[in-house]
Amino acid sequence: MLRRLLFAVLLVVGCRPSDRPTVRPSRIVSLLPSFTELLFAIGAGDRVVGRTQWCDYPPAALSIPSVGDGLPPNIEAVAARKPDLVVLYNAGPNVTAAKQLERIGIRTVLLDLNRLEDLGPAARTLGRLTGLEQQAESLARAMDSLTSTNLHQPPPTSTVAFIVWDNPPIIIGHGSYLDQLATQAGARNVFGDVTAPSAQVSLETIVARDPQWIAVLSDSAVPPAFAKRREWRAVRAVREGHFLLLPGSLFGRPGPRSGQAIQQLRMRLQRDGVGAQHAAPLHQTSR
Amino acid sequence: MKWTLLAVLAVVALVLSVVLGPAAVPLGELLRSDIVWNLRAPRALLAFLVGGSLGVAGAALQALVRNPLADPFLLGLSGGAGLGAVLAIALHLSGPWALPIAAFIGALAALGLVYRLGLIGGASLDPRILLLGGVAIGAFAAAITTAIVSLADAAELRNAFLWLWGGLSGASWDSVLLVALYAPIPLVVLMAASRPLDLLALGEESATYLGADVERVKRRVYLAASLLTAAAVAVSGVIGFVGLVVPHIARLTWGHRHRSLLPAAFLGGGALLAFADTLARTVVAPRELPVGVVTALIGVPVFALLLRRWTIA
Repeated sequence: MLRRLLFAVLLVVGCRPSDRPTVRPSRIVSLLPSFTELLFAIGAGDRVVGRTQWCDYPPAALSIPSVGDGLPPNIEAVAARKPDLVVLYNAGPNVTAAKQLERIGIRTVLLDLNRLEDLGPAARTLGRLTGLEQQAESLARAMDSLTSTNLHQPPPTSTVAFIVWDNPPIIIGHGSYLDQLATQAGARNVFGDVTAPSAQVSLETIVARDPQWIAVLSDSAVPPAFAKRREWRAVRAVREGHFLLLPGSLFGRPGPRSGQAIQQLRMRLQRDGVGAQHAAPLHQTSR
Repeated sequence: MKWTLLAVLAVVALVLSVVLGPAAVPLGELLRSDIVWNLRAPRALLAFLVGGSLGVAGAALQALVRNPLADPFLLGLSGGAGLGAVLAIALHLSGPWALPIAAFIGALAALGLVYRLGLIGGASLDPRILLLGGVAIGAFAAAITTAIVSLADAAELRNAFLWLWGGLSGASWDSVLLVALYAPIPLVVLMAASRPLDLLALGEESATYLGADVERVKRRVYLAASLLTAAAVAVSGVIGFVGLVVPHIARLTWGHRHRSLLPAAFLGGGALLAFADTLARTVVAPRELPVGVVTALIGVPVFALLLRRWTIA
């Protein structure tokens, strides 16, 4: 009798409208690698039942079925995982996708995640939704501290330009996550005055601003092909082979490992910087 | 008088594009600056050569297909070049020249297909079919390109489009030398066809009666103009409006004689592109505008002004 009653109660609880926060989702589809990492970091990894093909960390995530590239999300592939929560990155096509998912009764949440300071709030929201507030709070505090240490940092000792694409040259500007990574690691982005997250610039501007390092998101160990092009050899860092090749999985996205990314970047700047400074004294010609 | 003005315009455009730039180079150091020698000078020359080539190719193709809307890229070459560039990235072809070479081959493949389609009615090259075939092949290549980009894994593929619309960022002495050696051949072929092109404007039949070898001229002009455009795509991507608007401007000022029209289109196209590229590099510095935006913003009002003056007169 008692078991029956309990079952009935559970049934009622299970039938509650999906937007009630008391229902803890048990089947989550994450549509951004950063969200997958955050979910695993707060201990909700075992509830993730769908991911994008880009979600490659932690390694356990690879055994979760992929629902495609998520650009934009394939609604039917997502729905086929029978999720009770879908976590999406807050951007145009995803807003439409979220509406469509809601229409077929699947709960969704759209989160901003563009910069370091978005990490804390994202972790807290995911903690609240999954009922793992405590773990999420401690992660969020660690994430928040990444930006708050900014105040008492020594002035940058090296300069860097992030090259997204070589022809036309597209660089990373101030409004971006990579710019923040550089700042936190003690380097100055020579295109920090460009307010946009990324922008097309002239090659001669890169030459004139003369960064010590050319940083490229790359999983390869060899410098990018443009390093061999004659026009790029006008850039001193290219001529001298000062490339920072940053693996995309660690450096290309804000996430629980952002602190690790900052540490690694700082170490590489310091380790390689000793020789670099010897070969190329630090003088700033950029305006 | 007209020629002097055009020559002055061309020289001014070239000088400005060497003197002006987003990086501050003092006038006194102009000749010793690495930025000027290795970046600005080759880029200015490449802009001039590419702009001139596009102007001539556009003028010749407009005469060939007898359609004022003809543009060097209308005949499927941009689609073919785009497909080539995307394939190069998808197949992980590396090397500093992989993309330009692949784009060139793609443009040549499109050229071959369109040419073959143009001969579909028999031994005679039909300009109308050439036009339709060009648009169809271009659309087909673009569809395959989009399919590859949306299906393949590499996020890098999307950058192939950036490259295709990239303009003159890749300019170096290597690319200038390449174009300076290559472009004169099709340019001379087109110049040599000036007289038959004049006759072609009267219609194919009349041109034949007046002694032109119409079939040979059509083939030569099509191949030479397309080879010129394919090289332009390989070194500077797809740059719009120069090949469409400059020939019209030249025609409104110099008349329909190709002997003067083609050189005028060359100088005019070169000056326009060199000038447009200077603006693209400087007006929003340190950022840069796509040069095609600037060519359209300058070329179209000039064109509208001339059109108005000449239709009223």
